[in-house]
Parts: sequence; C-alpha cells; structure tokens
Amino acid sequence: MNFGFSPEQEALRKEVLAFIKENLTPGVIAEVEGEEQEVSAGEESAGRKGLARRGPHLSELYRRIGARGWLGITYPKEYGGQGGDRISQYIVEEEFARVGIRVGLVGSGAPAILAAGTEEQKRDFIPRLISGEYSFALGFTEPHAGADLANLRCRAVRDGDEYVINGQKIYTTAAHVATHIYLMARTNTEVPKHDGISIFIFPMDTAGITVRPLVTIQNNPKAPVGTTYGAARTNEVFFDNVRVPKSALLGGENKGWRVGSTGLNLDRVGASRYLISVRRDEDIVNWLKENRHEGNSLGDDPAIRDKIAEMWIEAQVCRLMTMRSMSIVERGGNFTYEGSAEKVWAPEHGTRITEAITQMLGPYGQLMNGSPRTIEKGIFGHNVLGSFQSGINHGSVQIMRDQVARRGLGLPSQRKAQGARK
Amino acid sequence: MDVLLTEEEMMVRTSARQFLERECPTTLVREMEEDSKGYPPALWQKAAELGWQGMSLPERYGGQELPLVFLGLVLQEAGRAVAPLPLHSTVTAALTIAQHAEEKLCEAILPGVAQGKTVLTYAVTELDGRTFADTVQTQAVAEGNQFVINGTKLFVDNFVAADHMLVACRTAPGSRGNSGLSLFLVDTKSPGISHTPLVTLARDKQSEVLFRNVRVAKGNLIGTLNEGAPIIESMLERGAVLLCAQMVGAARKDAEMAIEYAKYREAFGQPIGAFQSLQHMCADQIIWIDGGELLTFEALWLMDQGLPASVEVSQAKAFCNEKCEIAVRHSQSIHGGIGFMMEFDLHLWFRRVSAWSMKLGTTYEHRARIAHALIDLPGRVVLGRPVPVVAEA
Ligand SMILES: Cc1cc2nc3c(=O)[nH]c(=O)nc-3n(C[C@H](O)[C@H](O)[C@H](O)COP(=O)(O)OP(=O)(O)OC[C@H]3O[C@@H](n4cnc5c(N)ncnc54)[C@H](O)[C@@H]3O)c2cc1C
Repeated sequence: MNFGFSPEQEALRKEVLAFIKENLTPGVIAEVEGEEQEVSAGEESAGRKGLARRGPHLSELYRRIGARGWLGITYPKEYGGQGGDRISQYIVEEEFARVGIRVGLVGSGAPAILAAGTEEQKRDFIPRLISGEYSFALGFTEPHAGADLANLRCRAVRDGDEYVINGQKIYTTAAHVATHIYLMARTNTEVPKHDGISIFIFPMDTAGITVRPLVTIQNNPKAPVGTTYGAARTNEVFFDNVRVPKSALLGGENKGWRVGSTGLNLDRVGASRYLISVRRDEDIVNWLKENRHEGNSLGDDPAIRDKIAEMWIEAQVCRLMTMRSMSIVERGGNFTYEGSAEKVWAPEHGTRITEAITQMLGPYGQLMNGSPRTIEKGIFGHNVLGSFQSGINHGSVQIMRDQVARRGLGLPSQRKAQGARK
Repeated sequence: MDVLLTEEEMMVRTSARQFLERECPTTLVREMEEDSKGYPPALWQKAAELGWQGMSLPERYGGQELPLVFLGLVLQEAGRAVAPLPLHSTVTAALTIAQHAEEKLCEAILPGVAQGKTVLTYAVTELDGRTFADTVQTQAVAEGNQFVINGTKLFVDNFVAADHMLVACRTAPGSRGNSGLSLFLVDTKSPGISHTPLVTLARDKQSEVLFRNVRVAKGNLIGTLNEGAPIIESMLERGAVLLCAQMVGAARKDAEMAIEYAKYREAFGQPIGAFQSLQHMCADQIIWIDGGELLTFEALWLMDQGLPASVEVSQAKAFCNEKCEIAVRHSQSIHGGIGFMMEFDLHLWFRRVSAWSMKLGTTYEHRARIAHALIDLPGRVVLGRPVPVVAEA
C-alpha cells in the first residue's frame, strides 16, 4: 500500500501549479467563462467546431500545455501521447480541472479507440483527440433506451462498402460543437439485444444529421463555471439515411456492446469524475473560514461543524475510491465492481453536500448567478438543480448498484415476473 | 500511489486469515464470552509465535519492527474472526510504551509482550464517557519517589486479563483540559486497585477500575510530567485507527455472510438475493466497508511515514462507526428472523461491531476534531492535501 505520491509526481504537481499561476490570465478566464456563455444561447449551433471553437487565449494555453507534454500523457507516443503513467495524468488533470480547464480524455471516446480501434483509426483519431482538433459527442441514449441501453433502436444497415444509419439519439451532449460522433447502433435485429450492436465513429458534418437543442434546467440563468453539469444545453440528434464508410466501424460488427462497456469503464476513471462531486466541499469550508465574524458565524455552529466534517469524510472516500480505481488500472488489472462503486458513491455524495450546504446557507442558498448578494456566484443554487444528474447519466446509481451486486458480489439476476408484458 | 496490497501484505493477511480459520472457530468465541479472563492463553501464545503482539515493536525487544499497516492487516483478520484475544488493547499500550517510555521500562515490559507472556491495557476514560483526555479527573500526587493515584476509570478493556495498564492522570493540581496531564504505567495487581466488571453488548471484558491511594514508582511516568496530553492523544489515535481495522474486518465478514445467505434463501420462488432492493443493500454494504478500509489504511500509512494523521484517524473512526454499524444491521435484516436467534452465529459480529463503534471516540467526537482542523486553523483547504494547509504566498 502506498497512499502517497512519489517525489517526481509531487514535483510534477508543483510544476503544473506554477504553470497555471503564470498562464491563467484574465483573457483565458474570460474565454473559459465565455465558452459556457456561448452554448447557453440555446440556439442551433453556428457550427464553431473543434479547435476553431477555442478563443485565441485558450488556443495559446493549450499549445503551451501540449508543449509541456501534458496532453494525452497515458497514450502511446506513436499516437501523439507521452507513454506516461496514469498517476501523472491524474495530477495534471486534477490541477487543471480545479481551474476549469479540461486536459484529460475522460469521456472522449479515446480509451475505446485505443482498446478496439484499427491501426488507421488510432492514427487518425487519438493524436487529434489529444490536440483537441477532434472531439466526440457520445451517441448512446435514445428516447426508449436510457438505463436499458441495449434496447436501442437506431439502425445501421450494411450497403456495399457503406452503412446506412437511421434513427434518433437524445441527450447527446456537445453534439452541436463536436467534430465527430461515437454512435451505438443496431446492426442485427435477429439476435439477443446485446449481440446486435455496433459502434461507429464518423464526422458530425456527414450528410443527413440534424441536431436540435435541449436546454437544461441548471443554466437559467447562466451557471457559473464549475457546476455539476457544465453545459447549458444538450441535444437530440436525428439520422436520416446517413451514409458512413465501413471503416467507421469501431471494433467489428456486432461487437459494440463489449467495446462500449470497456470504454465506459475506463472513462469512469480519472480526476474530473470525482472532482465534480467534491468541489463544493472545499468551497463551503473555505467560505465558512473566510466569513467568520466574532460572535456571529456559521462556522461556530455545532450542527454545521458536524455536518461539514461528515461531508468532508465522504469526499475523502470519493478521492480514495478514485485512487483505488487508478491503482487497479495502473497495475493492468480490470474492475470487477470498483468503478461502479465509485460511480455510486461520488455522485450521491455530490448531492448530499449540495443539499447540506443549502441548509447551512438558508435563504442565501437559493440565489442564482447574477443576483445581488450571491455566495460564490450562486453555484450552490445551480447545483441544487444539477448535482443529482451525475447519478443518472453515464450509468445511473441504480444500475451501478446492480453491477456491484451482480458482478462484484455474485448475486443472481431477478427472474422475470410471470406474464410480464414485453 | 498504489493503494492495493503488495504481495508481502497479501501474504501477511492470508496467513493470519488461515491461522484464525483453523484455530478460532465460533465455538471458541462463544466459550470465551463466558470465560472469566475472556481469552485462551494457548491461542495468545500461538499468536505470539506468529509475531502478532510484537509486529510493530522494535526488534531489540523481540518485535518485528514492521509498519503499522501490517499490524492493521492482522487486526483486520482478528476482527474478521472476532478472535477473543486482548490484542488490540495490548498493542495500543505497547506501542505507546515503545515510543515514549524510558529504556528501562521498555526493557521491563516489551519483551514479555512480544513473547505473549504479558497482556496490557490502557485506562483513560472516566465517568464522563468521552474518549479524549481533557475529561480526566483521576489525580496522581508526588510523594517522595512515588506518585499516589486516586480516582475511577471506566470501560477499561481486558482489565481482568491485563498485567499492566497505562493510566492517564491529572498531575498538576487544578489544571483543566489538556494541560497538566501525565501517563503512568501501573501494575494491575497494585494494592489499592479494585474493579467491577461491566456487562457489555459485546460480552467482552471491560471493567470499572477504582484507584485508592495506589502507589507507583516515579520511574513509571511515561514522558514528561504534566505534559502527557500529546502522548495520550497519540495512543488514543493509534488505538482508534487500529480498532477501525478490526471493525472493518468484522463488518466485511458479516456482510459476506449476508450476501451468501441471500444467494440460497428463497422467497417468492427465487433467491432473495435476486431482489433488487436487497442487492442494493448488499452493494451499499460493500461500498461502505471499502470506504472505511481505505480511510483506515490511509491513516495507518501516514503514521508509518511519520506524517500527521490526526484528521485521517478521525475520518476513519467517524466513518466506520456509522457505516460499519449500518452494514451489520443490514446483514441482520437480510437474515430475517434467524439472525435474531442466539444459536445462529451472526450476532457474534453484530454485537462486536456495534460495541466497537461506541469506544475510542464516537462519530460526533471525531467529527468535532475534523471540524476544528478544517474550520478553526488558518489556510484554504484542498481535498487530498494535508489539513490544514497554510495558503501559499
Ligand atoms: C444532462 C445530460 C447529459 C447527458 N449526456 C449524454 C451523452 O452525451 N450521451 C448519451 O448517450 N447520453 C447522455 N445522457 C443520457 C443519460 O445517460 C441517460 O439519461 C441515462 O442513461 C438514463 O436514461 P433515461 O434518461 O432514459 O432514464 P431511464 O432509463 O428511463 O431511467 C429512469 C429511472 O429509472 C431507473 N431505472 C432504469 N432501469 C432500472 C433498473 N433496472 N433498476 C432500477 N432502476 C432503474 C433509472 O436509474 C432512473 O432513475 C445525458 C443525460 C443528461 C440528463
């Protein structure tokens, strides 16, 4: 057991912190906040995509981050990565995430491409995902297939050297700005649900794709940087006779379920996942300390102090579960249930701390961004609306508990009730 | 950073588990609940042959000088087997003697501990019931080359088995809180000591111990006179985190029994473990126990590095108190009626985990310590870095 970072890793963290101090200029900050502003318009995207989406300050920042070798650390050198270790990646991701800059490839589709892609796909996608030239929207969920994802209906039919795709996706985050989509579609309707699914990766500007905005409740008014679900909008995506070459297939026809699960599991590992859930713990403690007045201070209230400590411990468990997942991956092992356990604990903690904070701040907790007298720009009010969301998307906490129980503990599946309707 | 067990740690754990599975059946656990001393000397001796009592004691006293993480792994297994051994109280006291007592005392006591000849305990808590030393009222007054102790200690673990105990006393008359305290090594057979056994949930051996003009030699003072508070505190912290290891071990075994039971007990035509509401209870049990284990071993690891660990100890104990308790209560629920029956073994774990959650610091006591570190000390906090941190200029 080793719960510490090596001197090299500590040095890396120092280097990253110094870099951030030097490079997080007002121009960069304005662009980070502006990014969210732009999507909060809630209208059909103007199509600013990939690298072009970044303003001049952010572009320069990412160029410098890249020059330090901090993008794609764990990816092989031949695909534009650094061939480094996951812990270093974690340290870099964590420090940048704390200031609202995303450098990791969590949720990017890159892990699945590295694991299941052809040589050509790896060479095409991974370096460009690392540089930010490409980005994926994840096209899993459909109106009738959410938690029960294998129930998806979006069809891909082989036609010569192409596939023809028809169907609909929903809640497709970033579909209006992503360069590509990572799409799960049905390629065989004759076999059990899980065995007829394939994954396709192709450009969003392929003919026949329509993107329609869905506006989320968390961003009206515009949420400050750092809320649980950062984006103001997500999307519906429609596919109308969309033709893609067969080279768009990732990991073989009808192999999509396995490819997707591996990718999702790896996607659950990393700093950004747990930081989403614990940032508010830090915010509230620091706020309490910085707003202590003689004889009239929330920080002196025994009930609040007890709750603060309770929540802090829970946040530590989030961190430690992330460390455990990383330790497993770093040793080259596979999760049996650990990734799912983390995905139960962290989002539920995120909700508990959010709601606890409302009971510490009372009426101040309801103030939204832009209001007079907000605390921390109203982030707590915005979070009330969205903190539970990370317990639904990317595998709901109910489904994650099922996985802990069934995969981790070997409990049996429930028999279908007699006469249940299909 | 690699929070998983190394091969060596795995080996220590496996061999401890195998040993206790062989040597410590639940019949023995039940028998010792009725025994006057509460432990089987033969098993205690065998544990010493495996080096358990001396695991983290210096080699010069016959110990193995291994990190506390290893001792934690052994206590975890002792918890798993609900082994009726006075191991926890003995090592808690012994480690304090090794760290703070003068060479002569160490030489007098520690080799016997490592050889399994000596049982130790500690006596801090009094009528007030709280764990930390600021509530101590027991007095020790200097007289010639002796101290004379008067007072009452409560919840003294394994007093009936112990040869010596570490006793926290107030030595500066009129002092309050954490000042003016001292720690003494006292022979449990000293004239003036009497005790009354307490009847406890775990049916373990705890006593109320009365000190009436008990004389100890000046040489039995541990550390500096009137400055015992940090020593007492570090003893209690080490004791608390080692108890967490024991709790986590017991709670995990307990949950495993419920999970196995759920796989074959049938209702409504299927195993009860197929019902999602039960599956989610089981999932939560494991998530909580894993969380407690990670917190516990992080604290032990920090201690091994010589780094501050007070906050981490309190994190572990506050969390284990609550979560291990709910976990074992879930096991009871999953077992339906049978778990409530004396003849069924499950209660052996349930009763102990529940009792351990109440000693060496309640959830509220530990959270108060954490809140103090988080809120009252200067500097912004950042999760994952030591608390408190002083803001960089
Ligand atoms: C803001 C946001 C962003 C998202 N981004 C993306 C994205 O980029 N790409 C993408 O593909 N998807 C995305 N999603 C979709 C998300 O993954 C789904 O919402 C999620 O899978 C749940 O599906 P559903 O909404 O259809 O709910 P349902 O599947 O209808 O579930 C409703 C409720 O029933 C529960 N439930 C379902 N089955 C079971 C069961 N067997 N046992 C117990 N409880 C059960 C669920 O846990 C949930 O609480 C996003 C969603 C949101 C809200």
